[in-house]
Amino acid sequence: MNDVLNQAIVSGILIGGLYAVMSVGISLTWGVLKIINLAHFSFILLGAYVTYQLSTTLGWDPLIALVIVIPGGFLAGVIMQVFFELAKVDEFQSLIISFGIFIIFQSVTRTIWTADFRRIDGDTNPYESMSFFVGDIAVQVATLIAFGVAVAIAIGMTVLLTRTYFGKAVRAIVEDPEIARAYGIDVRRVAVLLSGLATAFSAVAGVFIATFQSLSPNMSFGWFGIVFPVVILGGLGSTVGALGAGVIVGVAAGVATTEWGPLSASLVTFLILIAALLFRPQGLFTRQSST
Amino acid sequence: MTSRTKSLIGFGVVAVVLNLVPTVVESLDAPSFYVTFMFTAFFWISQSVSWNILTGYTGYFSFGQGAWFGIGVYTTGILAAKHGWPFLLALPVAGVLAGLGGLLLGMIVFRLRKQSGEIFALTTLAVAFVLASVARLYSFIDGGRGIFMTGTPLPAFLGDFRTAMFRMTFVVAFLTLLTAFLLYESRIGWGMFAIRDDEPVAHGLGVPVFRYKMLALGTNAFFGGLMGGVWSLQIGFVTVEDVFNIRVPLFVILMSVLGGLRHWMGPAFGAVIIYALTDRLNSAGLEDLNQVIIGGLLIILVLAVREGIYLRLRARWKPALAVFVLAIGVWTVFDLGSSLIWDFFYASLLTVAVALVPLKRQPDTAASPASEAMAASDRSPP
Repeated sequence: MNDVLNQAIVSGILIGGLYAVMSVGISLTWGVLKIINLAHFSFILLGAYVTYQLSTTLGWDPLIALVIVIPGGFLAGVIMQVFFELAKVDEFQSLIISFGIFIIFQSVTRTIWTADFRRIDGDTNPYESMSFFVGDIAVQVATLIAFGVAVAIAIGMTVLLTRTYFGKAVRAIVEDPEIARAYGIDVRRVAVLLSGLATAFSAVAGVFIATFQSLSPNMSFGWFGIVFPVVILGGLGSTVGALGAGVIVGVAAGVATTEWGPLSASLVTFLILIAALLFRPQGLFTRQSST
Repeated sequence: MTSRTKSLIGFGVVAVVLNLVPTVVESLDAPSFYVTFMFTAFFWISQSVSWNILTGYTGYFSFGQGAWFGIGVYTTGILAAKHGWPFLLALPVAGVLAGLGGLLLGMIVFRLRKQSGEIFALTTLAVAFVLASVARLYSFIDGGRGIFMTGTPLPAFLGDFRTAMFRMTFVVAFLTLLTAFLLYESRIGWGMFAIRDDEPVAHGLGVPVFRYKMLALGTNAFFGGLMGGVWSLQIGFVTVEDVFNIRVPLFVILMSVLGGLRHWMGPAFGAVIIYALTDRLNSAGLEDLNQVIIGGLLIILVLAVREGIYLRLRARWKPALAVFVLAIGVWTVFDLGSSLIWDFFYASLLTVAVALVPLKRQPDTAASPASEAMAASDRSPP
């Protein structure tokens, strides 16, 4: 077997976990609330920059930043959903409005942190260089933790959706919001909570990105090409699907990078997106639903 | 005389008048940035009007304008600058290649089993990123080195660089507007509007849905690429970052949403206003604020003025015209603005404000049917 290829596959699986965390928020709001929220990209970016800032100025371990980032992301999601509810936007308007929000945050980020590349200093960031070997294959700790979080989110959301009243309400809203409302579910409250949760996931993805990548405001444009294939392939609103699709995209991009160079990765992910749209528009990991 | 003939005569008159502008500006010894201002406005008019042929007419929202623009820029860049083709010969190739790119995308996306506007929008968003990475990857396109366009020879009959740019952008913008107008007034246009309003019903009534969507996407891509081809000269040094960024699709969406997607003139109107706004903000040294304002405007407009400013102003054209003329008059007489462009800018801002004032309070639910009725009533059958 080819060692380089094995390495690419293992790294791809792990980075796929990160892709899943990045995508799960967008997938949830799109699938359940019918809101395509491009502002999630802003909150991934903000999560990363806030982590960078806390580590650099206060000398915090990047993972401690989660204490700030998770509530912050939750609050942002709540505010956004309240705004969407008050403005009564439809799916299509939400796309344009959140695009406007995204552009504003893009500019704000560039103003605060400039367009230069920023990276957490190695002294305060032990995860970047930390790795161990399984046989000949190196495992980067930063991506391993991200993968663990992705698995935890997938399991946690599955439990939440199947075992709790909140989850039952969410599933009822997916089926039919009007009937759910008629049966006494406070749709607005569920929506606000879910949006908060989804945005917190996105912000968490930002923390992990900050642990092993250089940050620049424009990197968020590149995420579009990763997150949308994952969301479509995984199936809208499916957290387990996002994890599976994240791994597929991560492995495909990783193998493409080792075989044809780093620039071919976005081409491959795009082809996956097209293939997914052509052959399984409902996603690989969801059963053929009522739609 | 039908309204269509009248409009066509209007097109002719506007063409003749505008064609004289560079000569007049030169003979008046006026600052030459008037010419630059106008040909940049033509660029945006063409981009947003062509975008509207797809998105406004058929209702398929596209983030892909940057892709068609980019194909155009790189086609003339490669053919004219790298291989020494005559520029005017490379130009139509740019349009055709972009058009073919549009048709290729349409072949894939419009044949999906699950038709959805959102899926289409996100796919077009991805196209530009893919083209960018392809351009970086292959050195016969760019390979990360960029292409120098400065010094590309232009035929002598076009005049000096500014005049040549003015004439070329003008011709492309004119053709785009004419196409948009003719489509709007034609049976095909009606078919496209039917697709926008309710695609399954349109299909059921015998509208060739797939063909019309392909036509709209192809036309959009063709003109986007054609104008992109011209614009490579203005860019000067073509790089992937300059071409395949979010700027073109973002501005085109904003301009069209502001102007209004339901009329062929709307996006042209929005293009002039938004371009004047950003141009003035930039010259006042507020580039950083620019994006924040653009993003904020987009949000407000989507929520507040769904039918766009053009139709609103049309409905109350008397007060709007009065405000515009009055503003220009006051600013010129008291010499408030530092140049004619500033005067024009303030006057249009005030006019836009006229459009934004809600005269009659409409209940929330009645807002959109009312605007639809308004959009429908000001069109005569072909």
